[in-house]
Amino acid sequence: MDDKEKKAHRPRQAGSKKEKKDKKKTKNDEKHNPKAFAPRSGRKAEKLARRKVELTQKRLHVPLVDRTPLEPPPAIIAVVGPPKTGKTTLIKSLVKRYTKHNLTTIKGPITVVSGKKRRLTFIECANDLNCMIDVAKIADVVLLLIDASFGFEMETFEFLNILQVHGFPKIMGVLTHLDKFKKMKTLRATKKRLKHRFWTEIYQGAKLFYLSGVINGRYPNMEILNLSRFISVMKFRPLIWRNAHPYLVADRVEDLTDPEEVRQNPLCDRTVTLYGYLHGINLKPNMKMHIPGAGDYYLSDVSPLPDPCPLPDKVRRSLSEKQKYIYAPMSDVGGILYDKDAVYINVPGNFTKANQEGIEQGAGEKMVINLQDAPETLASRLEDSELRVFTRSEPLKAADLTNRSESEGDSDFHSTSFKGMSSLLLNISLLTEEEANRPALLTMQDVCAIVQGLIGGSVESVEEESGRRRRKVVFSGGDKNETDKELSEAEDGIAKKRKRRVALDKHEVSIITGDDVDGEEIAFAESDSDLDDIMSEQEFDDGYMNSALKWKSNLAEKAKETFHANRRVNLMQLIYDSGKSPEDIANGEYDSSNEKDSLEKMDEEEEDEDDLITLKKADRKEVVSLNQVDSVKSSIDKASLAEWDQEETLEAIRNRFITGSLEDKGDDEELYGDFEDLETGEIVKGTSEPGRTKEELDQEELSRKKEELKRKFDAEYDDKEEDTPAMSYYDEVKEGIAKQLELNRAEFENDDPITRAMVEGYCPGTYLRILLRNMPCEFVKHFDPIYPIIVGGLSSNEENLGFIRVRIKRHRWHKKILKTNDPLIFSLGWRRFQTMPVYSLSDGTRNRMLKYTPEHMHCTATFYGPIHPPNTGFCAVQSVSGENQSTFRISATGVILDINHSVEIVKKLKLTGTPYKIFKNTAFIKDMFNSALEVAKFEGAAIRTVSGIRGQVKKPLPRSDGCFRATFEDKILMSDIVFLRAWYPVKPKKYCNPVTSLLLSSKTDWQGMRLIGSVRKELGVPIVNNPDSTYRPIDRPTRRFNPLHIAKSLQSQLPFASKPKLLKARSKKSYLQKRAVILEPKEKQIYTLMQQIQTLKKEKNRKKKEKQAQKRAEHAKKLAKEESITREKEKERRKDFFRAQGLAEKRSAGSLKSNGTRSKKIRTE
Amino acid sequence: MSGSGNLIKYSGHNYFRQRLILSLLSGKTVKIDKIRSDDDNPGLRDYEVSFLRLLEKVTNGSIIEISYTGTSVLYKPGIITGGKVFHECHVTRGIGYYLEPMIALAPFSKNPFNLTLTGITNENTDVDLIRTVILQQLKRFGIEEGLELKISKRGSPPLGGGEVNFQCPIVRSLKPLQFIDEGRIKRIRGIASPGFALSLVAESTTGALVSSETAANPGDTPEDIGKRTAQLLLSEIRKGGCVDSISQWLVLLLMVLGPEDVSKVKIGKLSAFS
Repeated sequence: MDDKEKKAHRPRQAGSKKEKKDKKKTKNDEKHNPKAFAPRSGRKAEKLARRKVELTQKRLHVPLVDRTPLEPPPAIIAVVGPPKTGKTTLIKSLVKRYTKHNLTTIKGPITVVSGKKRRLTFIECANDLNCMIDVAKIADVVLLLIDASFGFEMETFEFLNILQVHGFPKIMGVLTHLDKFKKMKTLRATKKRLKHRFWTEIYQGAKLFYLSGVINGRYPNMEILNLSRFISVMKFRPLIWRNAHPYLVADRVEDLTDPEEVRQNPLCDRTVTLYGYLHGINLKPNMKMHIPGAGDYYLSDVSPLPDPCPLPDKVRRSLSEKQKYIYAPMSDVGGILYDKDAVYINVPGNFTKANQEGIEQGAGEKMVINLQDAPETLASRLEDSELRVFTRSEPLKAADLTNRSESEGDSDFHSTSFKGMSSLLLNISLLTEEEANRPALLTMQDVCAIVQGLIGGSVESVEEESGRRRRKVVFSGGDKNETDKELSEAEDGIAKKRKRRVALDKHEVSIITGDDVDGEEIAFAESDSDLDDIMSEQEFDDGYMNSALKWKSNLAEKAKETFHANRRVNLMQLIYDSGKSPEDIANGEYDSSNEKDSLEKMDEEEEDEDDLITLKKADRKEVVSLNQVDSVKSSIDKASLAEWDQEETLEAIRNRFITGSLEDKGDDEELYGDFEDLETGEIVKGTSEPGRTKEELDQEELSRKKEELKRKFDAEYDDKEEDTPAMSYYDEVKEGIAKQLELNRAEFENDDPITRAMVEGYCPGTYLRILLRNMPCEFVKHFDPIYPIIVGGLSSNEENLGFIRVRIKRHRWHKKILKTNDPLIFSLGWRRFQTMPVYSLSDGTRNRMLKYTPEHMHCTATFYGPIHPPNTGFCAVQSVSGENQSTFRISATGVILDINHSVEIVKKLKLTGTPYKIFKNTAFIKDMFNSALEVAKFEGAAIRTVSGIRGQVKKPLPRSDGCFRATFEDKILMSDIVFLRAWYPVKPKKYCNPVTSLLLSSKTDWQGMRLIGSVRKELGVPIVNNPDSTYRPIDRPTRRFNPLHIAKSLQSQLPFASKPKLLKARSKKSYLQKRAVILEPKEKQIYTLMQQIQTLKKEKNRKKKEKQAQKRAEHAKKLAKEESITREKEKERRKDFFRAQGLAEKRSAGSLKSNGTRSKKIRTE
Repeated sequence: MSGSGNLIKYSGHNYFRQRLILSLLSGKTVKIDKIRSDDDNPGLRDYEVSFLRLLEKVTNGSIIEISYTGTSVLYKPGIITGGKVFHECHVTRGIGYYLEPMIALAPFSKNPFNLTLTGITNENTDVDLIRTVILQQLKRFGIEEGLELKISKRGSPPLGGGEVNFQCPIVRSLKPLQFIDEGRIKRIRGIASPGFALSLVAESTTGALVSSETAANPGDTPEDIGKRTAQLLLSEIRKGGCVDSISQWLVLLLMVLGPEDVSKVKIGKLSAFS
């Protein structure tokens, strides 16, 4: 084995040699054997083609609009599984893989940067039905953990069912505990078995991952690396519900209620801020949001925050270590959190005295504990304390700070910032001692100042010194830059204004000096406020000119008119910012009101000097609005129409007609002239710049004309060519969607974020801070980071309640069928609520109520609840509390069919009565109704007897309670029961109770309305026994009917077939009966012989049977013996197995106190 | 205009129809008060009441509460059900008054609209214009098949007696509109109806429609009406835009109700109604 391995040949990747070779290659393909790749038989070719088409068709999905922005929000990865399957370990391992960070506890969402263009949020799903339902609604990827040593558990299947109805995200199965298998063979067999079961549940070939044992509390690095690779290449298909609703998963929750208020009334409503990445579609301010488990709330305030876990801005080949951020505010990772107005430094551990006994205390800790001992509050002490951060700086006073924040007008937060100040001192000590152990508050600017002052401009050093990775604080440098920028911008603004002023001055001069006043001179301004400036200047000019030159003021007004006539208007600003009525805007009164007032005042003053001007004006306005006719047409001004008699006005719009020439631009000036792009605020210069010569312009004109002609020609003739391959419908739709998305993006590209947020809402992917008011105090009190808080947006209709008709099917694994009006908890849209469905089935004409759901069939259910769009899927459970763990908890699944405010469900009602007098076809019926009025209601209704004779209700009988006359198609009997089949409308109960599990101290204990049965059981109330409902022995006396008598005359007319055949029995014996038969001797012999033979045969058969029975008995004996032996063996084996299992459980329970219980093992596997 | 929770309050009788249909489309309750409270004849007019009745017929679960004096209305919207509806419009206003808002509701109904209205056909807005102009706007939003307005009888004031049948399909979602090129006018067509009314429609190369209409006042000669209509049409044309003033509101409303995509349309000067 001496010879070294030789270097492999590396063919040229570029250059002349490569080109030569390439040429050769292509040549050879054609030259040598052109037929080689053609199919040999027609049959095969056809098969191949078919297969190809099938594959392409399989690939197609219904095209959906993908509204994820260019920088998508972090993908939510839910780690789900029964308890003790290794969820936490998996998250820890993955986080370690992505960020090199060891997590101690997993609480709440953990966001990490996983690649150049992807971030991931990990969520651990607790083993609680509420939590599972919520997580299923937001997860982009589900890692479904399965304990391979145990097998599938019910939770897994329950979760899969929940996923199915709420849109199916990507699912990846992960088998854990594979190290528990001793034998390779059983391991392989188990893997295969579980894989196939998993595939039947999801799809053939669904990815199942295998994680072998745990090393150092984590899964093996290589396996985790592979898993992370799979996650990183995953594509997400947009899910319909999430593609129509904004939502965020709160990764931070803060209570902003005034502490004083809370102290006075601990149960007061709270003001809460929630933080999280926005997913789904754009979030509009003032939207109503639903927090599953807490209720509906209007957004009080939304503000975007800088991304705490940003994607790398520079694209490099791989992610550098510094860019591998982790953001998990609930799990005590990362040091500093920054908010709109405060920065939180959050570190584990606490400073309570009890904990510190016997432990060496650092200087910082001592200081904090000393602070706790202080007799008066920190605030009061700080009120008059001073803080000098820099030697040169002014001493800061706490009181000053409060004043400042109050003067800023943010009344909600002044308490916070005050608190911030009080803990400011504390924090400096923390920073210097590197022993930060308590969440503290600082205002943003303060931290900037302190950090810059103490550490010299960056927080990075803090991170290194403290020995723990913390996120880089980036705002220190950026802030300065920004302020600089702002300053420079402001300066720019001033400069611009100055320039504009100069231009305006010029402009005015031209107006005043020029004779042609109606001319083209138009003033332009960037915004209305600027316009005000211009106007006020003009006013000023007016005022001063009034005394001097009257005609000049007129000029100015005329100029203004032309200004308004041709100016483009920023409608958005007009409608939302200025307090104008739509009429005013439509009438072209865009000026800010004060200006108009002053103008009007001037006008009025000219007329008469009166003080009642304002009153008059108001009157006039009201009259105008009152007289307006509610019509789409605006009122016509006769005078304005008269101008169409003039040739000039007609000429002016000639170019609007196809007959008009293109050159004649006349009125078209506003089309090609300067205009102000209202969205960007920039002024676009028209083509007719004064600097250019006439020739140039002509040239341009000519080229433009040519272009237009060419376009026309193309449009006319190009379509008919068949060069372009016909696009399939699918591609067409896809292209349309892509084009629209492109348009959407382009539309808002250049807008500033504030306008954007106002018009289209906040983009998904932004990190938002949401302020909610009037939250129940339990939300804050019983907040548990293990249970995710989802804030889902509701579209305007989804706030209302109504009757919802759904198609529902009892889940085949649910043990019982469901009963009408039994409370059921639905998970629909974002919501979970308890309601009382009424089941029904349509029999073609009407919806008939069903008392119970069919066993294996869909049926319709109607319930009262929040409206959701049709085709929304739902699942239903009977109880979300943790107590019933024994069975499959998903009771039913289905989709919404339709929404209504009324329901048409009926149940059958049979009214019975008996005849008390019968005429020919008429009978008087009693006992069906109780009064004549009731009869009147049913006049003309169809009735029937049990024997099937149909009839009709006629009139009530006078002076009888409820008796009526009825006619039938035949004469009925006195013994007949007459019944009337009626339909009674059933209305579902208007009961809808949201599941408020998040407000409970123990989240699994939510209990809504209970079933009557369970209430009875708990209270020990026996079932009410209605004697009418008990069964009695049915007494059915045999009825005797008189023989049918047919009159002789009638009989004679009947055909023979219908005639009654009544023959008497024979009294005499017949001829054959009278004679005796005697056998011949030979016949007798034959007869005897036959008898003997038969007797012999019978005997033989009997013996044979006996023998067989004996044999069978022997065999059974043998089998029984074998059976008993195997049973014995099996018993022994089971005993061994359970003994071992019990021991293992006892061991594990002793080592790790877990609250979860393993409960169910699936029998179907 | 102040919004508190789910209830929106308005005052005055202006934009009565729009307030109601927007309430219906958005699912928000509206309360309109001070309806002509200072007028000699306070409260709702007959045609407004008639419109409310029509609204009740095409919806399910709407609750309309009119105060004793008729000066305030509370409207709790239900669900637009559509289906086959017959309504006798009050003759103080033309059928157009009732039909216009129905066009905005019809695409979002549960069942396709089949609405028969009787009354005055040639008063503002003329049903011919609705057929030739406003309905054409719906087509741009992808509502095409089964959209029809049949004018079976014509009726003029004061007694009416006209009858129209409006059929509209339902859509899952509207198509976003991109309509910025107004083009140049290639033809003008018109319909003159008995009872002296004229409607003119100008069509541009890109399919933009501009219209005008006039109904005769007592003493008008046909020539007068013709001239006035033509002048109105010209002033409409001068306003520019791809959509004329009578269908502005509908186009803008449908753009708002469309999917979360950018729609673009070029319109002339906004009318007060839109």
